Amino acid sequence: MLVLHTNVYITTKTMIKQFIRLEWKQFFRASYFQKGLAIKILLILAALYFGGIAIFMGIGLFFILKKAIPDVDPIVSVNNFIIYWFLFEMLIRYFMQQLPVMNVKPLMTIPIKRNTVIHYLLGKTTLSFFNFLSVFLFLPFCIVLLIKGYAVLNVALWFLSIICLTLSINYLNFLVNKSNTVFYVIVVVLFAAIGLEYYGIYALSEPIGVAFNTLYNNPFLIVVPIALLVALYYLNFKYIKSGFYLDDAVSKKVKEVNATDLSWMNRFGSIAPFLKNDMKLIWRNARPKQVMMMSFLFLFYGLIFYTQEVYREMPAMLAFASMFVTGGFLMTFGQLVPSWDSEYYKMLMSQNIPYRKYLESKWYLMVVAVTISFVLSTPYLYFGWEIFGMIAAGALFNIGLNSFITLFGGALNRVPIELNVKAKAFSNTNGFNPTQMLIALPKFLLPMGLFYIPYKLFNFEAGLIVLAMSGVLGIVFKGFFLSKIEQVYQTGKYKTVAAFGEKK
Amino acid sequence: MIVTTNLSKKYNDVQVLNIESLDIPKGQSFGLVGNNGAGKTTYFSLLLDLIKPTTGQIKNNNVLVHESEDWKPFTSAFIDESFLIGYLTAEEYFYFIGELRGQNKSDVDALVAQFEDFFHGEILNQKKYLRDLSKGNQKKAGIVAALIGNPEVIILDEPFANLDPTTQIRLKAIIKDLAEKKGVTVLISSHDLLHVTDVCERIVVLEKGKIVKDLITSKETLKELEAHFSGVVVE
Repeated sequence: MLVLHTNVYITTKTMIKQFIRLEWKQFFRASYFQKGLAIKILLILAALYFGGIAIFMGIGLFFILKKAIPDVDPIVSVNNFIIYWFLFEMLIRYFMQQLPVMNVKPLMTIPIKRNTVIHYLLGKTTLSFFNFLSVFLFLPFCIVLLIKGYAVLNVALWFLSIICLTLSINYLNFLVNKSNTVFYVIVVVLFAAIGLEYYGIYALSEPIGVAFNTLYNNPFLIVVPIALLVALYYLNFKYIKSGFYLDDAVSKKVKEVNATDLSWMNRFGSIAPFLKNDMKLIWRNARPKQVMMMSFLFLFYGLIFYTQEVYREMPAMLAFASMFVTGGFLMTFGQLVPSWDSEYYKMLMSQNIPYRKYLESKWYLMVVAVTISFVLSTPYLYFGWEIFGMIAAGALFNIGLNSFITLFGGALNRVPIELNVKAKAFSNTNGFNPTQMLIALPKFLLPMGLFYIPYKLFNFEAGLIVLAMSGVLGIVFKGFFLSKIEQVYQTGKYKTVAAFGEKK
Repeated sequence: MIVTTNLSKKYNDVQVLNIESLDIPKGQSFGLVGNNGAGKTTYFSLLLDLIKPTTGQIKNNNVLVHESEDWKPFTSAFIDESFLIGYLTAEEYFYFIGELRGQNKSDVDALVAQFEDFFHGEILNQKKYLRDLSKGNQKKAGIVAALIGNPEVIILDEPFANLDPTTQIRLKAIIKDLAEKKGVTVLISSHDLLHVTDVCERIVVLEKGKIVKDLITSKETLKELEAHFSGVVVE
């Protein structure tokens, strides 16, 4: 039988309405949404916090700049430095923003125009939190400008230009995400530019600043950012359209891979198979890679504390910071310990594996990470032996005690992780729960207390020694701690298997 | 080899499995059939100590599976894709399992080489991670991984599903060979009556968690099973 093929396409408007309805259901019926209320509140608070900070920054920006650089018009200062904001935004987006994904499989066989789906997909991304961050920052700033009597047309169109550029970054990010090279180029350019600027060799921000100032002074130039936005949108559109088949971009690409030979790690004996596996886990999956990059940033944590005189007088805070410097990987990766293996946990549990060996290998992984971080932290010697001594004591504490606390916390964490999916900002609560927050407390408070009490009672050196000794004791009693943790894991085994088996 | 007594499993007062007694001798190829929800996977999960029995126990070679881990060295299984490590290549996965089971690289290579035609050139040297293989190919890798390290008990859940006809036939030969020549106790479950009757010496039918038939396979078994599942009573 023949069917007439006229008008079988559903109208765009109905379609978009349907899409939105689907998304709504997807959002509210997702399992993470139905998890604890506490998490939801925390996430909303976090979003409000960052949004609020952006708004206050936006309001304050004008006055801060006026005070800091009195002889330059604040709008000119903003224009001079705005490029760094954009670069910073790119970096955050790269790590945190998800590519626009939609479950296209069921849509491909239904009579919907492809263009509609793609427009919807791309349009949806304008609602990303990251785009609002720019609005939150620059809208208050522009309002302040208007109150201060700046030309309405110039300010309004400048603001629109900034929004166009923000959206351009939004779309550029999706293209960048397809290739690591672009990412590394951006990182290198960013650091080079900051370096050149800092040492006064060449201020890259100058020509760009001139460009933005020209943009402000000649409102009609808004066509440039608009053109840029349109061009990037079009590129994305074309890219997605060319790949609108299941075996292409929308579903994931299959890269050709080579087996990695890590047999040199066999010297670690019976835990070698696990260590080798963990190395591959980290290198080959999006989520652990992301966590590792993040943990790298912890190395710079000390800079915040050591450079400020205020904290110099608060050694407990310094102990806290010193622990963080070497403990980044330990805490970010370690707190999700069994979860990393959640995708194949059933296999691990029925294979010929003593639990002890599994835990021990994770412990060694953390020890190696702390050691590497410690070596990388040697430049902190610049701040003097006292600071570096603290970092060393903190590293010992991390190896000897923090590692066990973290492993113990992991036993209580039964949230499965999708390995090859990046964590989203404010929407993905994978591997995150209130128990984790509770168990995190001793990680911070313990080193502070261990240092502070002997410091108060005796002197600085006593604090260092006690903090370091606590770590050494932990290493000495490693067997005891591991046995205890193993028991906790064994008791929770069935619950963990069941939780990891849950469909996400 | 595997002795099950008074085993039951309840989820929120709903009984999903209740086996009074089931004794599987060493070297038997044992088939479990039943409709969806009959309790096949539940039984296998209990056997692997992945879920806790509500009552009763399973002894695997005289080891109480929910109390001791000593059954692990001689037992292996492939239940579903969650037994694979998605970010490894097939070779890496085989070597990993091999290391866990005390086999060195060349042992694993020698074993895997026997399954070249089973793999049909789609598993080894593919330069792909397991997660990027098709369902059927993942299954092939998983099944062969379950054979590494000379296990005495092999548990395969729905091994024939998702496989192409050629591979199904080859798999049948492999399973028969394991039980007959090597004395391995093989437990499989299946929806496919024809395959199970071809391969298994003994077939147990589960219905709503209970054993309703326990047959030694003969020429009539297939007919009897078909009659049972189509709801016709045969005398």
